[in-house]
Amino acid sequence: MERRPALLAALLAASLVVTTLAAPALVSARPAYEIPVADVDDGATLDTADGEEWTQAPSAGVPLSSSGAAVPGGDESTVDEVRVASARTDERLYLRVSWADPTRDTAAGDVRQFADAVAVQVPVNESARPPIAMGSTDNRVNVWYWNGLNVSQELLAGGPGTTTVLDDSDLESNATYRDGRWYVVLSRPLTDSSDDRTTFSTERDVDVAVAVWNGSSMERSGAKATSEWYYLALGPGPEGPPYETILWLVAGLGMVFTTLVTIEGIRRTRGE
Amino acid sequence: MSQTDDGTDVRLADGIDHQVAMVMDLNKCIGCQTCTIACKTNWTDGGGREYMYWNNVETKPGSGYPRDWEEMGGGWDEDGEERTPGELQDKEAYGRAWEFNHEQVMYEGSDEPLRPMEQPDWGPNFDEDEGAGEYPNSYYFYLPRICNHCTHPSCVEACPRSALYKREEDGIVLVDQDRCRGYRYCVEGCPYKKVYYNAMKKTSEKCIFCYPRIEGEGPEGEVLPPSCAEDCPPQLRLVGYLDDEEGPIHKLVNEHEVAVRLHPEYRTEPNVYYIPPFAPPQHSESGESIESERIPRNYLEELFGPDVHEALNTIERERAKVERGEESEVMELLTTTDTTDQYRLEVFD
Repeated sequence: MERRPALLAALLAASLVVTTLAAPALVSARPAYEIPVADVDDGATLDTADGEEWTQAPSAGVPLSSSGAAVPGGDESTVDEVRVASARTDERLYLRVSWADPTRDTAAGDVRQFADAVAVQVPVNESARPPIAMGSTDNRVNVWYWNGLNVSQELLAGGPGTTTVLDDSDLESNATYRDGRWYVVLSRPLTDSSDDRTTFSTERDVDVAVAVWNGSSMERSGAKATSEWYYLALGPGPEGPPYETILWLVAGLGMVFTTLVTIEGIRRTRGE
Repeated sequence: MSQTDDGTDVRLADGIDHQVAMVMDLNKCIGCQTCTIACKTNWTDGGGREYMYWNNVETKPGSGYPRDWEEMGGGWDEDGEERTPGELQDKEAYGRAWEFNHEQVMYEGSDEPLRPMEQPDWGPNFDEDEGAGEYPNSYYFYLPRICNHCTHPSCVEACPRSALYKREEDGIVLVDQDRCRGYRYCVEGCPYKKVYYNAMKKTSEKCIFCYPRIEGEGPEGEVLPPSCAEDCPPQLRLVGYLDDEEGPIHKLVNEHEVAVRLHPEYRTEPNVYYIPPFAPPQHSESGESIESERIPRNYLEELFGPDVHEALNTIERERAKVERGEESEVMELLTTTDTTDQYRLEVFD
């Protein structure tokens, strides 16, 4: 009979180890604010939103809210979420942003007409996190921009109102509108010799933020929906913040302690 | 703000050395649109500018160009501190650029009269000469309009990219085409609707006060007044600097106060001034003149603010002086045919 508590304790200890290792993966697919980056060998089909290789890239839901910029309509944006998937080859980084938009706005031919648009910003110097609103003069952002007129531009910004088009960009874009949703792929070589463009190392994660404009709501400039800072999981890990493991360990120890106390209580009640 | 020798105040925008300005005598405008065409052929002849008239002439009372522009907001609040929101009007409000049957009439021998290819239902000055009032006392006058190159321009303030700016040397308001990203907040922000969106170039454009002409950039290197002024058949425009004490602008605006601003309540402080229209009196049913002004003063006050009363009273007094054979500087300034008096542009070179 004396072996039973010891056996139970051993079983509990084993289950604790298993739970601590497996539970984070089961309960939360990835840490908050992470956009996973799939490592793809070829990349031949990543250029289009429907490319087969995109099935290998899990997407992350990114909530958006009004930018609150000091322009008319700066707090009245209409898009509240985008899904962002990312993949890389040895040479290029690809981002696929998709969002629901019941109106497909692809013209700006009238004074009151504005095109849908999307932009992602990354820090020029990826080792520091710039201010979310277009960076700052000493901490600039590199912006990849596409709009419904099929204009894609690589921009440099050092604060609101400073966006400047970078010439000779290798940015490529491809957009599809299907079933009330935009799917826009933006891609660029990982490395760039210019000081004004981000060079992506695969050694570390890189911050990224997203903005979307709904043309039919006359959104443009700072009248847009924006995300918080997320990060592209380009680095080798760790899988998530260490506190997550610690929390699971504490919870497991608690479970073991409670169980042992209960067993001891039952034994005493029985007078063993 | 700068103080002149005779004590009158001339308000210049901060950081501006001098301010170019124009006075238009509405009593001379015959609505011929020569200024409109001079400007159009010079600056807005195609390339997404078909609907644009940096200079237009509209009939007042009337809807104007773009249609009902006075109802669209923009400018500043009563204190001149906060911008008031403005609206963007659609292209129909400006009127589409009509296609004419030139080809058929000129080259294909058609007997059709020359006319637009489709039935137009709106365009610049579409309500030409309609005016208001009842026979025999109906009334109207023409109102030529360009960008006012305001002292406190709300278009400049509206642009989140600082793509619009006021030139330091002469206060001309320009759009930096390299900075403009076509957001159109300036189009919304200007209460006079004198900034236009070029859908082909995806940038905003506006009257440049013919700065290459006043800078002497022409083939002869000669300083010339803006095209709209020089080409005007009745020569109703005077051009110079607001702060040139010997110039006609300063005298008419600041000394005699007979030139007034259009819609001063927008608080942008325009630098285009108008000599208000001075119409013949009303007629009785039997055709006799009666002691009643044809253009209601309250309508002129709506357009030009309360200063219009004193301006009209002064003009009346000055006219009476001339009728009595006395001298009147105001009337001399307004009737001169000497271009060196009409245009004083090299005074601050």
